[in-house]
Amino acid sequence: MAFYKEKYDAIVVGGALAGMAAALTLANKGKSVLVLERHNLPGGLTTSFVRGGTEMEATLHEMMSIGPEEAPFKIRTFLEEMGVKVNWLRVPEAYRLVVPKEKIDITLHAGFSGSTQNNVYVPGDYVAAKEIDKQYPGTFSEVNRLLNLCTAVFNAVNYLSINHMSKAQMLLKFPEFVKTCGYSTDEVFATFNLPSEVIDILKAYWIYVGSPTSELPFTIYAVLMADYLGGGSYVAKEFSHELSVRMVEACRAKGVQYEYCQDVDKILVKNGHVYGVRTKRGDEIHADYVACSAYPNRCYGNMIEPKSEVPPIAFKSANFRKMGVTCTSVVLTLDKSPEELNIKDYSVFSSETDMDLDAHWKNLHTKGPYNYLTTICLNYANPSCVPEGQTSLSITTLPLPSAYMDVKPNEYHALKRKVARSMIETVSKHLGVNLFDHILEVEVEMPHTIAHYTSNYLGGIYGYQHDMEDHIVARLQMSDDENYIKGLSFCGAHAISGDGMSPCITNGRKAAKILLDQMSEEGR
Amino acid sequence: MKIKSFLKDVGGASRVTKLRGQTLNNASSKNLYIDPINATAKALHPGPIEVVCTKVEEVSPTAKKYTFAPTNGVLPIFEAGQYVSFDLDIDGTKTTRPYSICSAPYQAQGENPFFEVTIRNGKKGTGYVSIWFYENVKEGDKFIVNLPFGHFNYEELRDSNNILALAGGSGITPFYSMAQEIANGTLDVNLTILYGSVSHKDIILEKELKEITSKTDKVKFINVISGEGEELQEGDEKGFISRELIKKYSVESDPTNAKTSYFVCGPLVMYQFVEKELKALNVPLRRIRMEVFGAPRDISQAEGYPKENINKVFKLTVRRGIDEVVIDAKACEPLAVALERAGIKNRTRCRSGECGFCRSKVVSGEFFVPKVGDGRRAADKRFNYVHACSTYPLSDIVLEIPIL
Repeated sequence: MAFYKEKYDAIVVGGALAGMAAALTLANKGKSVLVLERHNLPGGLTTSFVRGGTEMEATLHEMMSIGPEEAPFKIRTFLEEMGVKVNWLRVPEAYRLVVPKEKIDITLHAGFSGSTQNNVYVPGDYVAAKEIDKQYPGTFSEVNRLLNLCTAVFNAVNYLSINHMSKAQMLLKFPEFVKTCGYSTDEVFATFNLPSEVIDILKAYWIYVGSPTSELPFTIYAVLMADYLGGGSYVAKEFSHELSVRMVEACRAKGVQYEYCQDVDKILVKNGHVYGVRTKRGDEIHADYVACSAYPNRCYGNMIEPKSEVPPIAFKSANFRKMGVTCTSVVLTLDKSPEELNIKDYSVFSSETDMDLDAHWKNLHTKGPYNYLTTICLNYANPSCVPEGQTSLSITTLPLPSAYMDVKPNEYHALKRKVARSMIETVSKHLGVNLFDHILEVEVEMPHTIAHYTSNYLGGIYGYQHDMEDHIVARLQMSDDENYIKGLSFCGAHAISGDGMSPCITNGRKAAKILLDQMSEEGR
Repeated sequence: MKIKSFLKDVGGASRVTKLRGQTLNNASSKNLYIDPINATAKALHPGPIEVVCTKVEEVSPTAKKYTFAPTNGVLPIFEAGQYVSFDLDIDGTKTTRPYSICSAPYQAQGENPFFEVTIRNGKKGTGYVSIWFYENVKEGDKFIVNLPFGHFNYEELRDSNNILALAGGSGITPFYSMAQEIANGTLDVNLTILYGSVSHKDIILEKELKEITSKTDKVKFINVISGEGEELQEGDEKGFISRELIKKYSVESDPTNAKTSYFVCGPLVMYQFVEKELKALNVPLRRIRMEVFGAPRDISQAEGYPKENINKVFKLTVRRGIDEVVIDAKACEPLAVALERAGIKNRTRCRSGECGFCRSKVVSGEFFVPKVGDGRRAADKRFNYVHACSTYPLSDIVLEIPIL
């Protein structure tokens, strides 16, 4: 009884978004592809679950780079080219930021008066700049200038992630990108004449890249802001699982073999070149090319067989990187409508202390209580997500795995409830409603939950931290020299573009491209 | 930094690249891989465990309690109310069965860890596996089990710490687990159990539960006897678990004040009855917890089932990877059972349609999924992904399942 072919052109380890994007890209070039996913569901963290008959989002689930149907952006375009047509719903507002200590309470919306064409944003006036100006008069031109600087950088990154360019050409075409890329976000903020509250308002999204603005490359900040505040963000109507299932279906349509419940234990290497994988079930399956969703730390540390095939430089390349954040999240179904619970917004960032991101970052290195929370009420993006009269609410923060390394199994449940209780209490205080009196269903996700369902290294969800020592521009420039084992490429949040559902799709495409280039070099 | 210098700086890309290169080169070239978070996650959900039966004890004329110890000396932590899934091979049929764990979580930890399940026999409608279990399993027998599963546990973030348990038949077992954990001081809730039986001879774990109520005020145990002319004992209630009784044993005799959480576990008929009673009492929805109760005994009775199919047998083409086999699938049985009869491994756990472990893809063919217990995600429904344990064939079917 054979379950697998003699050999595949490529095997993808991990069937989450990056793995599926890699598989689609490879299959699109006529390659035979096998995807091995350890879970019985596709999509990794892009998933949902059902409790008490109600489907719930696993955690943060907004997609960037989708864009409206009439002006599709790169991820929507890629997905549609691959035959993945998701029913996207645009989320109503970008975010509300509440910082009681600084008397900040403002809601910003995405949109700008410029236009988008072929993935290029033509600058214009940002809605958010106008909204900020209403509360902080006289700030419009500086905020708008900052957001347009972000837009210019964003355009450059989108272009450069696909095309090669000389430095001189880059300077001519993308001067804003070239001139800002050596600086942190705070350093660039300092060149704008804006009151500190306004800067704080513009920092709110920092958690979505999991790095404080003192350490965050401006390049990453710019991409984030232009994408979220320009194009807005989207969720799938039938929850994140819709995207994952549609990608699986697209894989199947392209002849990709996608297998669930297959945990890849080893990646087999001989003479510096991949030749296959072995699963925990014991199947040895052959392919000369593997796109790996496991973190390099685990791949080099525990998956390459024999171990002697891992060169010292590969360990260096994993060891030098700072691990990014993991996740603690409370997902609730509540027994009243959002209006009855005084929940007015889709997405709220709240800061219990000043918007001192270095202090918040320090706080995220602990087991809480946490001071910077993201609260999402899905009803406002997707009214049909729960039965009439109920609310879907999630409260999330993104601590560092280092805070959870010492948790013993017998401490786990009590800790989980302590973390969750504190998060629910904090949001209850903001709403003036005791949410504990309304809980129909509650699930708490911890770093260990991430580990359990994905086996991600240290329960990480965002790959490696974006900081000045591991700058996205440097990642891109050095990427060609970092393929230490031939036939092996990495996809997932730990790859070049970093965290997020859309960047993961980009990472998967890049991983496939690396393999395709090697295939053609090696005459396959 | 001055704005002017910033505007002139064109060396950023080279600088950050150099910095990254230096940082990389300064890093250790040793294998520093450790992952305590995955290790803890693995300890919490270890996958298959081998256990040995260490004791079989009669806990009523029709029920036995089985004690199992792990052969490697370690059991994962579970919460009172959760279940264990047994992997079984009965005369070539590879199947699984979920049983509520009736022992307490604290007993699964420490030096001599064990867990217990209680299995009832002799009642009309007892499944063949339970009968097999009851008649065959003895001390020294080894099994592969998986635990913990299920959501029928007290959740302090959600539930009232006053629980009124509404139990029938072997549905008493999760409450015995809770009761022991309470008596041990490791679960801080007040538990009142209304246990519906036809007569005293049907009651299981009575002696054990009464012993607990003598030890702690936090657990109360009331038999509700429905049989006509059956003898009542002190403290018994007569009839069914009716709205009057539920009201009487709720905190302040007020089911609407949200001070009581109702946990329901028992046979289907009891659910249907109790659900109606709780609704009539206007109990807030968030105060009701129902354990799943297995596949229906007779699918033809399910709402919307096209009855003309019930005696048919279809061809089920089973795809695993590039392999394909054709087996028979009776209309009256879930697809998971057809696979089991053919000896094809399939990962079922709850066997009620809820947990989704047996998620598979129907490539072609018609099927029926009962509304009760349809735990599928919206997108799965759209693309014909089904939970094989609660999916009944209505035509020949091509099914893709994981390679196990």
